[in-house]
Amino acid sequence: MKNRILVVEDDAAIRDAVLLNLQFADYDAVAFDDGKKAADALESDHTYDLALLDIMLPGMDGFELFGLMEQYGIPVIYMTAKTDSASEIKGLRDGAEDYIVKPFDPLTLMVRIEKVLKRVGKWNAVYRVKDIVVNTETHTVTKGGEPIELQPLEFDVLVALLRHKNMTVSRERLLNEVWGFDYLGETRMVDVKISALRRKLDLEDAIRSIHKLGYRLEDR
Amino acid sequence: MKLYQRITLLVSIVLTVVILAVSLSLLLFAKNTILSLSTEQVQRKQKTLRTSFSEMANYYARSDDSEAVHNSLIKLCFNRFSDQSSVLMRNGKPVSTGVTIDPSAYVGPDSEAFSEGTPVAITVQGRNLLIAGSSASVGTESYSVYVVEDITDTYARIQRMAWIFAGVSIAAIALGAVVVMLLVRRSTKPITALSGVAKEIADGAYEKRVAVRTKDEIGTLGEDFNRMADAVETKISELEERNERQRLFIGGVTHEFKTPMTGLILHAGLLRRANLSEDERDASLAHIEAQTQWLERLTQNLLKLFTSDEEIELESVRIPELLETVEEGVAPKLKEKSAALTVQCETDTLVLNPDLMHSLLNNLVVNAANAYDADAPEKPIVLSVTGRTFSVSDRGRGIPKEAQDRIFEPFFRVDKSRSKKQGGSGLGLALVKTIADAHGATITVDSEPGKGTTVSVILPE
Repeated sequence: MKNRILVVEDDAAIRDAVLLNLQFADYDAVAFDDGKKAADALESDHTYDLALLDIMLPGMDGFELFGLMEQYGIPVIYMTAKTDSASEIKGLRDGAEDYIVKPFDPLTLMVRIEKVLKRVGKWNAVYRVKDIVVNTETHTVTKGGEPIELQPLEFDVLVALLRHKNMTVSRERLLNEVWGFDYLGETRMVDVKISALRRKLDLEDAIRSIHKLGYRLEDR
Repeated sequence: MKLYQRITLLVSIVLTVVILAVSLSLLLFAKNTILSLSTEQVQRKQKTLRTSFSEMANYYARSDDSEAVHNSLIKLCFNRFSDQSSVLMRNGKPVSTGVTIDPSAYVGPDSEAFSEGTPVAITVQGRNLLIAGSSASVGTESYSVYVVEDITDTYARIQRMAWIFAGVSIAAIALGAVVVMLLVRRSTKPITALSGVAKEIADGAYEKRVAVRTKDEIGTLGEDFNRMADAVETKISELEERNERQRLFIGGVTHEFKTPMTGLILHAGLLRRANLSEDERDASLAHIEAQTQWLERLTQNLLKLFTSDEEIELESVRIPELLETVEEGVAPKLKEKSAALTVQCETDTLVLNPDLMHSLLNNLVVNAANAYDADAPEKPIVLSVTGRTFSVSDRGRGIPKEAQDRIFEPFFRVDKSRSKKQGGSGLGLALVKTIADAHGATITVDSEPGKGTTVSVILPE
């Protein structure tokens, strides 16, 4: 089951980019450009695991929409250009799970979405790529139904690549997401884990080295 | 030291010096006067005594009198005029005396005072005495006639007078000091109050004023102070208002930049990091192009907004020519909206800045075109100039009443999504307002939802 995400953003460029990023990461995303339209659509379909809301919206603003989200039990992340602390405080006090300030980095958005989904217990713990199934709850990997043994760090690198599927992730970013922000290790460690993953999971073509940028797990 | 203390001290010192000098000199004058009066009196008394005695004794005395008779006669004659202050002496021996001292010990027969008969002041046994003496001859005999006047009481009176003078002087000084202190304190009280208010104002309570009661210099100072505080308060609130406007404006600008920036960052990221299909790549590039164009419009308008805020150059402009250039400028927009524009001109020339006015009219016509209802092509947009009034009318959707006051605010949009789709920067009407203000022109908005809007800009005479 893919996680379903509602996006309400009136700026077409941002909306399209966020949708594309969500698709890459295997989310099932639905987008609206108007608060009122989103609210009307919610009446018939409100089976979303998460909502990404802009605050300044035509029709109905993000804060107003939040009331509906609460009603349907949909956790909310605000995407806002408002950097003033007043609106952040209002957003969070009203119960929003998180907010992300524009302009934001899509990889960070993905990490935040995952964190919120895990926190509210709606996280779909299973990633799929080709015939490989990765279960982050049981820490198991199967390929074509056969279990594959991975070292813990190899597993974590694989999950980080899956989290940003179809997006290039730098070695530094992988280090940060796997070993934590404080880690000052060699980026070569990443290369070692990547080659192990390629070998064990037969992903030589799918995990691409992008010159000067990092690695990309391609699946489209 | 406080001002009232200093003034009181100074005044007390001056008062003390003056009063002391005056009372001392008065006292000395009185003392001298009294003493010289006593001296004259004593001299006169001695002279009378001597003359009377000598005349009488010479009249009655006979050279053949026996010594006892002669002595009795002399005594009789002397006692006829003497009192208890009179002394008669012969050969340094008292013949008749009313006093216990020997006056010749103080005014001897050889002294100058004795030959002149002038009184001499001396102090004996705590008593102040005036002694006047001179010789008187009776026959061949020489007598000394003295008057010894006790003036201790006079001295005591003078001393008493000195004490009274001192007492009065001290009282006068004290009274003077107290009165001065009270007066000065009273007149410095408003200064203390003024200083208190000045401190409060310095701490930010700009609305504070002093209560002015007196009509003197301090009262004037208070009034001037209040006037200054008024000016400061007005200026401060102006600055605060301006600051707030600028803060809001900068907030607005930042917000306006953030949205296209986010789009740019996201799509640049996609193009660089994602494996996009050909169509997706095209769509991303199209977004980037649109966002950069939007940013370009935004910066252009911001620049105009800032530059037209300053002193502008005015010139005499032929209005029909100006309107022609506006018509050319808006033609693509009108075509896009399939809107019609009617231009009416009844004015030949006006004094204005042609570039800025072109911008203003262009913005108004573009706004009208955006509001234009494509379903009603028989209602064209009208751009008209009558006298000094420029008007742009449309029969579009109109502006809701509650929004009419705010449409000239930067980044205010009646309908956010619609305006953005039409490529508005949110600064069009703010620019119109700034340009109108720079010309000293007034703007009126007449709009009814569903019926249309007329915006008029009236240049000053």
